[in-house]
Amino acid sequence: MGELAAEKHVQYILSAERRKDDFVSVVLEHLRMNGAYWGLTTLDLLGKLDTVDVYEVVSCVMKCQHESGGFGGNIGHDPHVLYTLSAVQVLALFDKLNVLDIDKVTNYIAGLQNEDGSFSGDIWGEVDTRFSYIAICCLSILHRLNKINVEKAVSYILSCKNLEGGFGCTPGGESHAGQIFCCVGALAITGSLHHIDKDLLGWWLCEWQVKSGVLNGRPEKLPDVCCSWWVLSSLIMIDRVHWINKEKLVEFILDCQDMENGGISDRQDDAVDVYHTYFGVAGLSLLEYLGLKATDPTYALPVDVVSRNFLGS
Amino acid sequence: MDLLLQFQRILESDPLIDEVGFVHPTQFATLAEDSTGDAAISDGTTFWCRDHKLGVSTQAVLPLYNEAKRAFIAAMEEYKRLGDGDDGLESEVMKHSKALLLLSSDFGTAWNSRKLVVSKKQQLSMYMGELLFSALVLSCSPKSDQAWSHRRWVIKSITGKCSALQEILGKESELVEKIAERSKMNYRAWNHRCWLVSYMTREQVLHELKKSRNWAGLHVADNCCFHYRRRLILRILKDSKLENASPGYSAEVSEVWKEELDWNEMLIKRYIGREALWLHRRFLSLCWMKQFATNLHDVSCHFELKISTSNSFNSFIDNELHLLNSCSTVPNNDFEDFQAQATYSATYILWLTKQIPEFWSEFQEKLTIGNLKTMLSKVCPERSFLWDSLID
Repeated sequence: MGELAAEKHVQYILSAERRKDDFVSVVLEHLRMNGAYWGLTTLDLLGKLDTVDVYEVVSCVMKCQHESGGFGGNIGHDPHVLYTLSAVQVLALFDKLNVLDIDKVTNYIAGLQNEDGSFSGDIWGEVDTRFSYIAICCLSILHRLNKINVEKAVSYILSCKNLEGGFGCTPGGESHAGQIFCCVGALAITGSLHHIDKDLLGWWLCEWQVKSGVLNGRPEKLPDVCCSWWVLSSLIMIDRVHWINKEKLVEFILDCQDMENGGISDRQDDAVDVYHTYFGVAGLSLLEYLGLKATDPTYALPVDVVSRNFLGS
Repeated sequence: MDLLLQFQRILESDPLIDEVGFVHPTQFATLAEDSTGDAAISDGTTFWCRDHKLGVSTQAVLPLYNEAKRAFIAAMEEYKRLGDGDDGLESEVMKHSKALLLLSSDFGTAWNSRKLVVSKKQQLSMYMGELLFSALVLSCSPKSDQAWSHRRWVIKSITGKCSALQEILGKESELVEKIAERSKMNYRAWNHRCWLVSYMTREQVLHELKKSRNWAGLHVADNCCFHYRRRLILRILKDSKLENASPGYSAEVSEVWKEELDWNEMLIKRYIGREALWLHRRFLSLCWMKQFATNLHDVSCHFELKISTSNSFNSFIDNELHLLNSCSTVPNNDFEDFQAQATYSATYILWLTKQIPEFWSEFQEKLTIGNLKTMLSKVCPERSFLWDSLID
C-alpha cells in the first residue's frame, strides 16, 4: 500500500492559497471561503495549521461579512449560507469564534427558515436540504439552535426521504450521497436519528462500494474520492461503517495522490484540487489512518475543535 | 476594455444566440476554413459566431473574465448608489452580468443582480428573458447549480401571474431532456425536472410519463431519468388516493403500473447488468406489493377480491423468482455484465424480502435464502461485509 504524502499536501495547499492570479483561482474566486475551509481544515488534520497566519485569515474572513450578518464567498460578494458555514468553521478551527457578533449571524440564518421548516440559501429563496444541514450545523456550533424551529426543520428533512432510504434536495428529489450526508448530519445534531431506518440507508450507501474499493455517490457513476467522505461519515453516524471494506477504500484514496506536487484528485491520474484534497485527507482520518488528527463526521471538523467548542477548553 | 466590448457587441448583434462554447486557439483556423453556410463573424483568433453559435478562444477567457468582472462591479456600485428607475444603469448591470456569467456560471452575486433588476421591473417579458439567458449559460455549463436555481426563481415568481404556465413547464421539461442528452446523469438538470412535477396538472404528469419513456429506454444506465419516472409515478399514486379521484383513475393507475413493470422487465432482459433498471424494479415491486398488502389485510375487503388478489400476488412472486433464476446463471466470466446481472437480481430479491417482512414466509417457501447468500458472496465478494450483516 502507498503512503500519505503529508508534507507534499501541506505545500500544495499553502501554494494554492498564495496563487491568486491563475485561471483556476480566478474563476473560483466566488467560493474562496469554501476553499479556505477545505484548505485550512486539511492543514489542521495534518497538524500544520500553525503554518498560516491566524490574524490574516481571521481578518480576511471578517471582510466577507455582509451587513445582514451572512458571509459572502469573497470580499464584496453577496451573502449565502454556504459561505456563512465555512466562515464559522474556519473561525472555529482557530478558536476565534469570539470575534463574531453571534446574534447577528444567528439572525441571518434563522431568518432564512421557511414556514414548512425548510431553509433558503439566501434571500432569493432556493430551498435545498443542504441548507438545512448548514443552518443546523452552524447554529449548533454557535450554541443558538434554539433560535429556529427545530421540529419543523426535522420534519422537512424527513419529507425528503426516498423509498430506498436515501435523501434528495427537496421532496421527491433523487438520492445523492452528499445530500444524504447533509440530512443525516442534521438529524444527528438535532437528536433525530431514530427516524431513519439505519439498515435500509446503510444498505443503499454500501451498494456504492465498487470493486476498486472506492465509493460512488449514485448508481452507475464513476467512483470519486469526495464520495468517500459523504458515504463514510453517514455510515459512521448511523453506526453501519463495519458494512464496508475499509482497507480497499484507504488504498484507493492513497492512489489518488499526486506524489510529486501534492494534492489529491477525484480519481487516479486526474488533476488535483483543494476540494478533493480535503475530502481525501478527511476520509483517511475517518478511516483512522495513522498520523492524522481525528475528524468529527457530523461537523466535518477535527474532533478536538468540536470538543473545545462544546465542552470548553 | 476591447475584449469585453467585442464580446458584448457580438452578443447584442445576434439575440438568437443559443449556444456558447470555448474553443482551443488552434481550432479557430479550422472553423474559419469551413466555408459552408452563412459567413461567420470572426476576428480570426478570439471570437467566432455563426448559425447562432458563439465560440470564444480559451486563451481569452481569463482576460475577458477580469474585464467583465471589473465592469460588473462598477455597474453594481452605481446601480446601488443611484438606484432604481434608471434604465441606463439597469441595462449596464444586465449587460455586464451577462458577460460575466457566460464565463463563470456560478458567480452568485451576478445572478442576484439580475434577480434584483428583474424583480423591481416586474415585467413578464424580462422574466422570460431570464429563461432564455440561463438556457444560454446552460449550453456551456449544463451543471451550473446557480443557472438551474435561477430558472426555479423565475417560475416561482411568475406562478399565478402567467396563464401560459403549463406550456412553460412543458418547455422546461423538454430543455432538461435536451441537456441530458449531452450531459449524462446530470443530477442538477434532472433534479430540476423532478421539481417541476409539483407544478404540473394530473394530466400533464401522465403525459410526461408516457412521453419520456422512449428516451429512458435509450438511456438505461442513467439512474436520473428513472428516478424522474418514479417521481411522476409517486405523484400519480398520490393523486389516485385523493378523495375526488374517480375509480376510472385508479384503474388507469393500475394499468400504468403493470405497463411500467413489464417494460422494465423487457429492458432488464435486453440490457444485461444495468443497475438503474434493477433499482427501478425495486421501487415498482415494493409499491405493487404494498398494494397487495393493503388489500389482503383490509378487513372490509371482499372475500373474492382477496382470493383474486392473493392469486395475483402469488403469480407476481413466481414471476420475480423466475426472473431471478434466469439472471443468476453466469455463462462466462469474460463480461462483467453477467456477474453484475446476477448480483443485481439477487440483491433485488433480498431487498424486497427485507422491505416487506409480512411476505417473508411466502418467499421463504419458494426460495432458499442460503442460496442467495452463497450467490452474492460469489459474484460480489467485495461487499462481503454487507452480505454478512444483512443475511443471518
